[in-house]
Amino acid sequence: MTQFFQQLINGLSIGSVYALMAVGYSLVYSIMNFSNFAHGGVIMFGAYFGFFFLTFLRFPFPLAFISAAICSAILALIIERVAYKPLRERRAPFLYFIISAMGASIFMENLVIAIPAIGPTFRTYPEVFNKQPIKIGELAMGKLDIAMFLISAICLIILIYIIDHTKIGKAIQATSYNLKASALMGVNTDFILITVFLMGGFLAGIAGVLFGMKYTVYPQIGIITNKSFIAAVFGGLGSLPGAVIGSVLLGIIETFTAGYLSSQYRDLIAFVLLITVLVVRPMGLMGKVTEDKA
Amino acid sequence: MGILELHGLTKTFGGLTAVGDVDFNVEKDSITGLIGPNGAGKTTIFNLVTGVYKVTSGKIIFDGKDITNKEPYLIAESGITRTFQNIRLFKKLTVYENVLTACHYNANYSLLDSVLRTPKFRMQEKKLNEQAAELIAIMGLEDRKDLIANNLPYGLQRRLEIARALALMPKLLLLDEPAAGMNPDETEQLMKLISEIRKKFNLTILIIEHHMDLIMGVCENIMVLNFGCKLAEGTPKDVQNDKSVIEAYLGVEV
Amino acid sequence: MGNEYILGILTLAGINLMTVLGLSLLTGFTGLFSFGHAGFMAIGGYATALMTVKFHWPFIPALLAGGLAAALVSAALGKVTLNLKGDYFCIATLGFGEAIRLILDNVQTFGGARGWPGIPHYTNVWNVLGINIVAVIVLANLIRSRHGRNMIAVREEELASQIVGIDVFKYKMTSLVTSAAYAGIAGGLMGHYMTFLQPKMFSLAKSTELTIIVIFGGLGSISGSVLGALVLTSLPEILRAFSSWRLVFYGLAVIFIMISRPEGLMGGYELTPSSMKKLFRNMAAKRENKLQRAGGGK
Repeated sequence: MTQFFQQLINGLSIGSVYALMAVGYSLVYSIMNFSNFAHGGVIMFGAYFGFFFLTFLRFPFPLAFISAAICSAILALIIERVAYKPLRERRAPFLYFIISAMGASIFMENLVIAIPAIGPTFRTYPEVFNKQPIKIGELAMGKLDIAMFLISAICLIILIYIIDHTKIGKAIQATSYNLKASALMGVNTDFILITVFLMGGFLAGIAGVLFGMKYTVYPQIGIITNKSFIAAVFGGLGSLPGAVIGSVLLGIIETFTAGYLSSQYRDLIAFVLLITVLVVRPMGLMGKVTEDKA
Repeated sequence: MGILELHGLTKTFGGLTAVGDVDFNVEKDSITGLIGPNGAGKTTIFNLVTGVYKVTSGKIIFDGKDITNKEPYLIAESGITRTFQNIRLFKKLTVYENVLTACHYNANYSLLDSVLRTPKFRMQEKKLNEQAAELIAIMGLEDRKDLIANNLPYGLQRRLEIARALALMPKLLLLDEPAAGMNPDETEQLMKLISEIRKKFNLTILIIEHHMDLIMGVCENIMVLNFGCKLAEGTPKDVQNDKSVIEAYLGVEV
Repeated sequence: MGNEYILGILTLAGINLMTVLGLSLLTGFTGLFSFGHAGFMAIGGYATALMTVKFHWPFIPALLAGGLAAALVSAALGKVTLNLKGDYFCIATLGFGEAIRLILDNVQTFGGARGWPGIPHYTNVWNVLGINIVAVIVLANLIRSRHGRNMIAVREEELASQIVGIDVFKYKMTSLVTSAAYAGIAGGLMGHYMTFLQPKMFSLAKSTELTIIVIFGGLGSISGSVLGALVLTSLPEILRAFSSWRLVFYGLAVIFIMISRPEGLMGGYELTPSSMKKLFRNMAAKRENKLQRAGGGK
């Protein structure tokens, strides 16, 4: 029985990091209606930023953490301005955005490999939380895992508060329903887009740092983005609560698969889940069923 | 018994009833009109008949056969085609290509025939090209046949859309606001065109329109929709004099 | 740089071209984007190798078997995913491609992640060239027929093509299965050129690279795909000197192409004898006009 709860906690922990990543995806998807494949690159840079601030500049952890998140936010915005804005202006079909996103992703991954100072070697974060687990009865919970879960939870709560209860949040919701109409209603859609990318980038940065702390830092971290992306689809592309729920469930499913079946299947189960969702209920758990108006 | 019969046709979107329990008959060889204020459900009925939307309840009978909820391409095959309110031409193709593509139905050579360029392929391709050329000539588009569809003037784009629909040799043609954006001259020409093609192609035509001169001038029978339900039905004269129609749509007399 | 080297690049370009041709049909002419075609290459590659290594089949029949295997799998995939909206189909292909790679990584019969070495070196520049020529002719004939026109119609206006009696699902399926067959054969060619197969040869990066080539060459143009495959396969090889930075520039180049000339090299036009004649005639006419005007201005 403890095995079960142990796995559950592990699953929640990784799921909460997936949630941070997935939310960034869903935010952009809800407004621009395309899947931002460059998101993974931002997450990866977040991990590197955090590593840099902690190891080279020797910032205290909270400062390094926030700085990495801010840098990631700015990076996300730069990508938007360079790779997406021109396409928006010429009203390109969404598939062109995806290609541009792929280009950005390839650029980022290989930039890190190519810069001699960084290079493809794996980097390990210095130990911020010591390895002594906290024991509650029979359960052992790593301090890092608890921190991951708490930090993600706090960020998500703040985000959901912003979306639901602030003026800018309402503007984001409006824009997600109809970009053009909101512009006509006086919403500064460019500003909204900037905000959304900054927010998504900020969360991605946090996710990157957490991921780097839990595992290691390497240029291909971006691939992990596929998981959060699957989680977003699972929960319903465009729905933030859906992204969270989907991510947590994915984290749990993955961990259980690795624990009870074999860790080899952990990655595979995510893709099996994706195909299942697309076949059975493509709009995901929380997505809306819509019929195309002719 | 008409060529198209709607029995208790209903379509709801979530809580909204777009079309509510509509019964209607379209007589064979007639030119029938479908009018009503914006949002009355006219295009929705077209979408239901052509299979673009699934019916919530009710039946659609065409030429004696139940076509409710059939796949759009099968409905097209059985003889119903249409034009769209916001012109859905193959915009980047030429006028000729638009019509030629639509002629596909009149050939049946397989993929293998195309790859191997068999005699069957050559013969049928020739026939299709002849068909397309003929149709373009009849519709008066011959001198523009190599223009990109998107570059045609608006009125001709509508005409091309009709030409494309006719390539399938339909029995029933649905026209969705064909006169939208046209001036009185162009509307006159369109009215003439509609009467001509009815005769030449042996068609039944059902038109959605807001241009009252066109509807009253060319239709033999009219159905009026309001908020998804049938408000009135009859000849142009009947409809023009119907009190409820006047109130809802044509304007109350002061 | 010897003859060997150039022939090697041409062979690789030809292998890429095979998949790109198929992808051109799917993306360029039917309008469906796929980020999983490396998965079909993998299926074809491993299936072909199975036939030659375990059953000692001759090369061409083995290739056809590889293509068939990929085609069958694509039919199954298409059945469940082609009804989905645009981006969802895209996502499904991505998931499929990755799933295939992961399965191959984990299934030990084909060597797992370490790969499958010792595949006979049957591929050479001549059979690659020959197969590509046949592939181009088949593709061109398909496009210039009512079937090709129907696919183009689906790409242009899916709803209107339904109304015009086109069975959209059937044509999307045809397009997908053909493109998968092409990719499968390409995979077989690849395996018998490299003499080994490894799942990581068929990653998401490869699938993306293929789609980028199609876009670079210009959607809806077979000659564009040919040029694109040649240029984008040989360029990185030539730039190999800059090794790690070449991919950095590649990524930037992709973004740049999308924002400045998304219609690609050929912009949807074809390089055919008749189109070349037209081009020269236009150029000659323009020159005549200029001369006339210059003369008349005097």
